[in-house]
Amino acid sequence: MQLFDVVFYVFALITILSGCVVVFSKNIIYAAFSLLFTFFGVAALYVLLHADFLAVTQILIYVGGILVLLLFGVMLTNNVISVEMKTGTIQAIPALIIVAIVAGTLAGLSYSTWKGVAVPAPGGPQTTTGTLGQMLMTSYVIPFEIASVVLLVALIGAAMTARRHRNS
Amino acid sequence: MSDHLLNDLSLFAPETAITLTLVAAILADLIFRRTPLVVAALVLAGFVVTGLLLLGQTGVNASIFTGMIAVDSFAVFFKTIVVLAGILVVVFSMESGELNSPGRKLGEYYALLCAAALGMMLMAGASNLLMMYIAIELSSLSSYLLSGYTREAPDSSEASLKYLIYGAVSSGLMLYGISLMYGLSGSLDLRAINRALPQVLSGGGAASFTLLIAGVLALAGFGYKISAVPFHFWTPDVYEGAPITITAFLSVASKAGGFAMMIRFFKVTFIDAGAVALPAGTWATLQGFHWVDLVAILAVLSMTIGNLVAVWQNNLKRLLAYSSIAHAGYMLTGVVVLSNQGLAAIMVYFGVYLFMNLGAFYCVMLIADKTGSEDIDEYKGIGGRSPFLAVALAVFLVSLTGLPPTAGFIGKLYLFAALINSGWTWLAIVAALNSVIALYYYVRVFRNMFLRTEEPSSPGITLSWLQNAALVVLLVPTLLLGLYFTPLVQLAQASVRLFGTP
Repeated sequence: MQLFDVVFYVFALITILSGCVVVFSKNIIYAAFSLLFTFFGVAALYVLLHADFLAVTQILIYVGGILVLLLFGVMLTNNVISVEMKTGTIQAIPALIIVAIVAGTLAGLSYSTWKGVAVPAPGGPQTTTGTLGQMLMTSYVIPFEIASVVLLVALIGAAMTARRHRNS
Repeated sequence: MSDHLLNDLSLFAPETAITLTLVAAILADLIFRRTPLVVAALVLAGFVVTGLLLLGQTGVNASIFTGMIAVDSFAVFFKTIVVLAGILVVVFSMESGELNSPGRKLGEYYALLCAAALGMMLMAGASNLLMMYIAIELSSLSSYLLSGYTREAPDSSEASLKYLIYGAVSSGLMLYGISLMYGLSGSLDLRAINRALPQVLSGGGAASFTLLIAGVLALAGFGYKISAVPFHFWTPDVYEGAPITITAFLSVASKAGGFAMMIRFFKVTFIDAGAVALPAGTWATLQGFHWVDLVAILAVLSMTIGNLVAVWQNNLKRLLAYSSIAHAGYMLTGVVVLSNQGLAAIMVYFGVYLFMNLGAFYCVMLIADKTGSEDIDEYKGIGGRSPFLAVALAVFLVSLTGLPPTAGFIGKLYLFAALINSGWTWLAIVAALNSVIALYYYVRVFRNMFLRTEEPSSPGITLSWLQNAALVVLLVPTLLLGLYFTPLVQLAQASVRLFGTP
């Protein structure tokens, strides 16, 4: 077993275990904090896949933005800490069937042959950021610009939804 | 490089125009706070300019921005449908009592309408999976907000939330499908994927299984956009809760974008480009991936479930929602036949569907503005009180059923002809039987309008000249295209001929 494999399994384990805590924890604060480790674990996996920019983005946006927002939401909501979350199992058999189908499909997918992507040669630090920036400004300029329209719509929508109604 | 970009930008002019309209609408809303009509007029002008720029693109066949977007007559046709729907919906919105209630600000409404139209136009042209996904997200995001615009109406917020949740799930599924496709072929460009697929499929069972799953997942995204069964669950609730103008827009423009994107996806990606010995104008599926059967199943389910459930609806908006699901089913049959004839039939169908469906929703809106309800019981005796409106609604519904001499008949005729020509007779029979079911629930509306009389003391519905004019604008094509349809058919056939050839 190489060093790469060891590192991969360590981070994969962290991701899965903290993900389980998110799902099964009855305390919403514990769930939110263990989501932190899930995000970090995924970011580490991205690093292992030579996607350094994606890893940094993952930490900046998911940990720095979304998770903090989530925690603010939880903590600013009254009484949310003391409320016991309802958990229970309903419709176990249909759920099992669907899970079995999905798991079988995913297992089947893993046998497929994937198109390999060239791994950068070892030796010397290489980053993808420069190439990404260049591509965003050349061949992917239109998706990039349209994404800004999407963001504009999201901003308008957020302001519109949050606006207090005065006249009704 | 920059020369390329400038040339590409000139072919991107319609989309640029609608984006500028979006920005101008936001600014105009800040300046003219008290008079929403200014913003409406500005957006209307923006849509008209976009339409004129689109007319200038007839006959162009190009791929712009390094293959991200295709500008061909097929895309231009569907973009024109979106823009026409946009123009009509802006006119409806200026008239709508539901939207123009005192105290409501409409600036964002018109801006979001532009954004939704931009998304749908991009859907019609996108020839790269990344571009397709962003276009879907843009149109969906604006649609969620628009369907929840009348927030004080309890159904409206519910509609928006349901739309958002279903939309998030289906776009997640589609994204996973896209990632599988990228993993198999190493590219996001549809043509490059098409070139890579024969080699992928020769890799054996696991690869074709993965491709099948990727296709099904992508189909979930398209099916959601065109509201085909089994991805239709959001449709009745959203169509009922959203403002009628938005329902009308979604039922035509969103479907047009979805269909254009779906057809491009399947026609470019999953076609055996090297197949020999085929009659002109037909294509073959890739060996080892029979997506046609999947689409045929969707078509049958959509037609049958849409029509059968519509029979039980008493709310006209819900009834038209289920009928629009059924219409998506009819149009899907045109994809199944794998020929230019089938595609041309879909385009002819969309050309007439634009007018008849928007017309039906407009009549429902005018009646609901006066009676305050879309319940079928409110339609009792309208034929006696406001004959013009009732006759107009009747014509639109007859056309939706597909009876001569209306345009709907021509749409169905071309679809059925394409089906029978390519040996899908059983599918044509299923579609014809479904039209009979459809007749039943449309006739219920006629019966209430003309044969039943309301208790006394309900005044007739008087229409302003603008409302009458809008009705006439919708009625004339619905009737005229039923009798003189050659130009539309020729346009559709010409648009299809070059489609898919780079």
